[in-house]
Amino acid sequence: MTARCPSDLALERHLLSPERSTLTAHLAACPACAARLQTMQRQGEEFLRYVYPATVEAVEAAAASGPSGAVRWLRWLALVPALGAAAALALFLAFPSAPPDDYLGIKGGGALGLTVFVQEGANARPVRDGETVPAGAALRFRVRTARACRLWVLSVDGRGQVSRLYPTQGEGGAVLERTADLPGGALLDGLAGPERVVALCAPEALPWAGAEAAVRAAFPAPGPEPVRRGAVVAGLPAGAAQDAVLLEKRP
Amino acid sequence: MSEHRSKAAELYRTHGPAVYRRCLRILRDPEAARDATQEVFVKLIRDMSKLEDRETVLPWIYRVATNHCLNHRRNASRRGEDAAAAPLELADSVPPDTFPDRQLAQLILSRFDAATQTVAVGVLVDGMEQEEVAEVLGLSRRTVARKLARFLEQARHQVDRSWS
Repeated sequence: MTARCPSDLALERHLLSPERSTLTAHLAACPACAARLQTMQRQGEEFLRYVYPATVEAVEAAAASGPSGAVRWLRWLALVPALGAAAALALFLAFPSAPPDDYLGIKGGGALGLTVFVQEGANARPVRDGETVPAGAALRFRVRTARACRLWVLSVDGRGQVSRLYPTQGEGGAVLERTADLPGGALLDGLAGPERVVALCAPEALPWAGAEAAVRAAFPAPGPEPVRRGAVVAGLPAGAAQDAVLLEKRP
Repeated sequence: MSEHRSKAAELYRTHGPAVYRRCLRILRDPEAARDATQEVFVKLIRDMSKLEDRETVLPWIYRVATNHCLNHRRNASRRGEDAAAAPLELADSVPPDTFPDRQLAQLILSRFDAATQTVAVGVLVDGMEQEEVAEVLGLSRRTVARKLARFLEQARHQVDRSWS
C-alpha cells in the first residue's frame, strides 16, 4: 500500500458517515488501517457499554443547565475514592451521630426518613425542611428505613429538572437495609430557587426510569411553587415508602 | 427540559465514542479517558447546535478533546502522577528516523507550549497532514509548519544531548 494512510480524524469521519467515506478502497487494501479501524470500533463499543451509562447523567444535567449555569452534581461514588484516607475519615467523624431533637428533616414516624446535611467547613449540619442553604452548598444524606428496600434519591428544582443523586450507577436502586449515611456527596448547582430532595424506597428493585417518571409525574409543571408545595409521588410499587426535604437555594 | 436532556443523550451516544477514542489515545488509561470524556462532553454540549452539524463537528470535537487531554497530561505531570508517564504512541506514518528515540521525544513533548503540543500530536501521533492540522486548529499551514519545525529541531537537539 503506497498511498498515505488516513489520520485518526479521517477514520473518525469514516465511522461517522461511512456512506460518504472516500476511504473504503484504502481500508480494503491496507491491513494496518483495517486493523486500526477495528480497534476504534471496539473502543466505541467499550464506550457505549461502560462509559456512556456511567456518565450520561452528568452530560444531560449540563445540557439542561444551559450554557451559563453549569450543573455541578458530582458523581458520588467517584468522589469517595478521590478523597485521601485522612480526609475521608475527617468527613465521617464530622458527621453528626444523630440529628438534633428539633430536627424536622425526618418527618413523622414513616417507613422511610431522609436527612439532608449541608457541609459547613469540616462539619455537616442537618437541614430543616424548607431551610435556606447556599446555592452551591455541598450536601450529604442519611436515610432511615424500617425494612430492607431498594433506594433512589433524586431531586427536582423549579425548572422542572429531575437529577439522579444516588445511586449514580446501575439499575434497580441501592440496597438499603437499615439507617445509612450514603457515600459521597453532591454539590448544588449554584442557581437560586427551591430544590426538593426526594427519597424513594421500594420492596423490590425499582428501575431508574420508573423512579424518574414517577417524580416527573408528581411535578408535571415547572415552577418554584409546585416544588415548594411538594407532592406525593404516585405510581410506585405497593409497599414503597418515600420522604422528601425542601431546600431553598440562595446565592 | 426533558426533550433537551434526551437530545443531549442522543448526541452523546453519537459523538461520545469519538471523544472517548481521542482521550484514550492521549491519556492511554481507560479510567482517565472515561472521566475526561465526560468532562469534554460537558463542555461540548453547551453548544448543542454545533454538535448537530455533522459537517463541522469532528474537527471541533478533536480540538476540544485534544486540548483538554493534553492539559490533563501536563497537570498530571506537574503533580508527578503516573498517568503522565504513559507514553504517547507515534503514528505509523511517522518515518522511523524522525526520532532516534521515540520515548524521549514523547517526554520532550511535554516541555512545549499547548499550541505546539497540539500541532506535534496531530502530525506525529495522529498521522495528520499539516494542512489537516491547520484546518482543525484554525491556524495557517505556515504556522503549523513553523511550530512543527521548531519542535523537531529542539527534540533532536535534546536527543543528541542525551546521547552525548
